[in-house]
Amino acid sequence: MYKTQRTYVKPEMKMAGLIFENPTLLLMMEHFDLGISAIQDKSIEQICNDNAINLQVFTSFANLYNGFIPTDGEFSSNDEFVTIIKFLSRSHQYYKNEKYPEIRGYISQLYANNEAEIIRLIEKFFDEYFAEVTEHLGYEDSVAFPYFNSLIESSKFNQVNNPFSANDYRDHHTDIESKLFELKSLFIQHLSLKGDRAIHRKLLYSLFELENDLNIHSLIEETILVPLVRQIERSRGVV
Amino acid sequence: MSSHSTNIAIVESSQIVYEGLINILVKSHQHYQFYRFDSIEEINTTRLDCKIDVIIINPSLIQFNSRDCNTLKRINPSVHWVALVYSFYGKDILAQFDAIIQISDSAEYIKQTLSNLISSTAAEIDSVQKEPLSEREIDVLVQLVHGLSNKEIADKLNISIHTVMSHRKNITQKTGIKSQSGLTIYAISNKIISLDSLAL
Repeated sequence: MYKTQRTYVKPEMKMAGLIFENPTLLLMMEHFDLGISAIQDKSIEQICNDNAINLQVFTSFANLYNGFIPTDGEFSSNDEFVTIIKFLSRSHQYYKNEKYPEIRGYISQLYANNEAEIIRLIEKFFDEYFAEVTEHLGYEDSVAFPYFNSLIESSKFNQVNNPFSANDYRDHHTDIESKLFELKSLFIQHLSLKGDRAIHRKLLYSLFELENDLNIHSLIEETILVPLVRQIERSRGVV
Repeated sequence: MSSHSTNIAIVESSQIVYEGLINILVKSHQHYQFYRFDSIEEINTTRLDCKIDVIIINPSLIQFNSRDCNTLKRINPSVHWVALVYSFYGKDILAQFDAIIQISDSAEYIKQTLSNLISSTAAEIDSVQKEPLSEREIDVLVQLVHGLSNKEIADKLNISIHTVMSHRKNITQKTGIKSQSGLTIYAISNKIISLDSLAL
């Protein structure tokens, strides 16, 4: 698609060129536990080799950040499965420890020039939203991911105790996305914020950044991870 | 999440034809958003942040690729298919399309063809544009913000639960806000209710 002008990513391509084109790939690299120093003049294949990252997963996710949805059945190995779960867990750390506190900080700065009562309500709205998100991420970290991991480690596998529901999963995501949309609607269309424009812009950019990464995150979980879990469950005779 | 523009996917390999078509269409009164693809398959595998409303395509690209075409029709049955024709095609092929644009058609005719096609969709789009809340919707909003249930609101305003729900749906559509705490912020910042009237 030419609207975004983004490249379809292949293993032999240089990472630097792709980042010049789409800087959100830097964030994706962080979710793979890679910093800027990993880029240099290396191709994707070299970066994955040097850092023991599954090439297939890295390439597919880079394409997802560039706007291309992976086709069915691209993943099947345990190594890919483990890489995906690590990627998702690290994204959780980014949401919890960096992105939400950052947005919360911008909201507090709105007190300076706006009605305190309204900003207090926004803070309350955001805190409740954040509590919901934390609960969902906590569910994934403490229930869903350990269960997924147990599927591929025979010794830990416990067939009777299957705590995971793909439907709950999807409902959580829908709710998180719709609250984020409300927040943007309030700021952009309804609140008529006063004061420092730079803070308003940073706040909104931050919300959009979060939204973009959350969208990709849900897409990975719903279209790649959950089908993969189902496939492994079937092969082990769970369902 | 509503959008006021019509999303058009153009599957056309010629740069000249593609740019020419866009140039004609951007000058019409409709709001169009264009996405260019090289093949039908590419539409299916691209992550789009919107729903495609119209596909304008050279029929030769469909003849050899009915599988991807059928996938797309299954996923998105409401899409309008427009043939962009600059050589001869049999009737049976052109019959599969909702409209036809000939390479020799005038700019006016092309604009008209497209806007006729989407007029039914456009009517729907108008209804979700941001308009002010009606008096009755404001009544319902105030009760919602005070934490009343659908049933309590129905009793208090002397209307049916069904009507309450339909007002709620309109409120969400007009404001983009659904949750009670979000609506509270909306109502206070628009001076529909005062903070003092709420026991927070």
